[in-house]
Amino acid sequence: MATKKPDRFDQVDWDEFTDSTGLSISINTKLMLVAALPLVALYLFDRFRVGEREKTFPKLGEDLGLSGLFETLGLDYNPSNLDYLFIFTIFVFLIYLVLPLYQNPRMTKYYWSEFKRNRPAVVSLVWLGIVFVGGLLGPLFIKRPEQDILRGHQPPAFYHISENHVPRCLGEVSNGRCHGTWAHPLGTTQGGKDILDVIIHGMTISMKIAFITTLIVATIGITFGTVSAFSGGWVDEIMMRFTDIVISFPTFILFLLVLYIYGATLGMFIFVFAIFSWGGTARYVRSKALSVTEEEFIKATNISGASKYRIIRKHVVPNTASSIITQLTLLIPGFILFEAQLAFLGLGDSELPSWGQLIASGRSDLSFAPWIVLAPGFVLFLTILAFNFLGDALLDALNPQAEAEADK
Amino acid sequence: MGLGKYITARVAWAGIVSLVIVTIAFILMHFAPNPAIQQAATDAALQGNDPQEAIERAEELRGLDRPIHVQYLDFLQNVYTLNWGWSEYRSQPVPQALLEGLYYSAQYSVPWTILTLLIGPLVGVYSAINMYSWKDHLATGFAFFGFAIPNFFFGIILLLVFAIWLGWVPVIYNPDVAVFSLENIRQLILPVFVLVTGSIGGIMRVSRNESAEFLNADFMKTAKAKGVSPMRAYAYHVMRPTMVPLSTTVVGQLLAIFLGSSVLVEVVFGIPGLGRLTFNALINQDTNLVLGSLLVFTFIGVVGNLIEDLVFTILDPRISYDDR
Repeated sequence: MATKKPDRFDQVDWDEFTDSTGLSISINTKLMLVAALPLVALYLFDRFRVGEREKTFPKLGEDLGLSGLFETLGLDYNPSNLDYLFIFTIFVFLIYLVLPLYQNPRMTKYYWSEFKRNRPAVVSLVWLGIVFVGGLLGPLFIKRPEQDILRGHQPPAFYHISENHVPRCLGEVSNGRCHGTWAHPLGTTQGGKDILDVIIHGMTISMKIAFITTLIVATIGITFGTVSAFSGGWVDEIMMRFTDIVISFPTFILFLLVLYIYGATLGMFIFVFAIFSWGGTARYVRSKALSVTEEEFIKATNISGASKYRIIRKHVVPNTASSIITQLTLLIPGFILFEAQLAFLGLGDSELPSWGQLIASGRSDLSFAPWIVLAPGFVLFLTILAFNFLGDALLDALNPQAEAEADK
Repeated sequence: MGLGKYITARVAWAGIVSLVIVTIAFILMHFAPNPAIQQAATDAALQGNDPQEAIERAEELRGLDRPIHVQYLDFLQNVYTLNWGWSEYRSQPVPQALLEGLYYSAQYSVPWTILTLLIGPLVGVYSAINMYSWKDHLATGFAFFGFAIPNFFFGIILLLVFAIWLGWVPVIYNPDVAVFSLENIRQLILPVFVLVTGSIGGIMRVSRNESAEFLNADFMKTAKAKGVSPMRAYAYHVMRPTMVPLSTTVVGQLLAIFLGSSVLVEVVFGIPGLGRLTFNALINQDTNLVLGSLLVFTFIGVVGNLIEDLVFTILDPRISYDDR
């Protein structure tokens, strides 16, 4: 490996450093701006120009005079507010988490060699990659599953059930058994929805929950933790007592109350759970920030005249980042599970084809059509398991010395 | 600050937390449209009366026309004197309905808690003793399986296999069975198993990692050198110090599972406990009962956290109370 020549004091271009204390922005921030601006523009367009019953993209095509082109490309999406937030979060994830890995190949190589040793975690990463890509791109190619009673109860491929249970068998019928077809690889529900399609749409929901709640929790938690650590005194005291209340809050129960009074959309779910889940992160960031502040290099930076904001932004947050990432990874499965539980109870967003809803819909036919419950159940199980394995492996790879502490 | 002072402060803190939660509930309820009043307005409009007048009359009837601070104080008084109103759906006072629910919830919660507390640390210490052997890997695999499998999904699968296919346990829960009878054990064994599997994983992991530290401690070497039997050494020198850090997480974990899963497990297994009661109250728009059951869950949570903190300080006398 070609090592870069270390900077020598007399060769440093000090002008570069003088500039960097000003308003210079990194390539990542520039990219983020380039990515976010069209999104914000589209959101504003949607907000002020597109009517209640109109779809965003066809309307955009109309306004730009490109209706024909949009139609041939099949651009007829109508993103919701949550979709905008989701895409924004994806940009943040790609630019501030994935891109730095590429920019810093030496550390990436080291992390990967550490991470690789944990084989279940590698498998988990692959599975989460599938869920991520499926959730991101699936809905663009696969239409929302629709009711079609005549296609009800089709068994999965390679499976067959008694003909009596199927209204109209689409596959072969032999010896009074209906065989599954590749048209519905995982079978269909009672209402004839294709299970694979519902599962792929469910991936979008799980990914939305995973990304958006994480972004909100990270933003509030990091801000709260660092501000609290650097303020000290009574501000710190009040902020930490407030965090205590947030931590001891029964979020699930509160959400039931919110749901009872205001009804529950996915956005509401994400909002409530994110708002009440940052307590642990804030506490963690605070203690980490306090310990980092004691380090010599922070003192050196302080003496060199760096501003408080700069110390926090450039030294404290990056030094706590790995622990925060690990902690957030272990928070996500809880959110996904809660959403599935609510959907299973029929208290979730009934508009959305989620995994929990699918499990609930198959309960009554469990004795002869177990695939309706089993397929989404295992996908849910694997996803939660994968996040847990991933979190465990990240713990080992990113901060080995914290392993013993964080397992508590 | 001494122990007595610390306990007083901690109890007062629990009171404040419960007050904050009750206040949030009040605010949420206050600014939401009340279905009963809307109903009154609709009825009046259908009968040709003035809907505005009907709304005012309905608000007066419920005392909603008074200033907000009076309503709030009234609400607080009612909450803390257990005057929780009448449940339309159950046709009985809310506290009575909740007590009946609690009776069924306790029947599976008590064995579940006891089993988790017994088996979790034991298996954890056992796998620490045999660290990195196949026994340890098996236990770790089970722990991961336990907290990754959704309780309700696991319950459904077990019901399918053991109740429908094998017929070993009844499919439908029978609430009239005596508490200490074989039948009751048979119908509760699956819910208890599901809950234990879900909660044991975390405890096993914590006690495994904690006890690993004590296995190589100096006092263990001394004990071995003195010829203390391994059983006794593990029980007195490993298990006991492990329980201290464990006690900080156990209550929290059990509570989280109880608050989240009791609804699911009761719905799946058809147990008419607190969780099912909450669920039915939500479905049937019974505001008093919804609020009542949420208050019960909140208080269980607050009191549980309080007990956890107190147990921790009593178990570990080394902790100073100054920076807490």
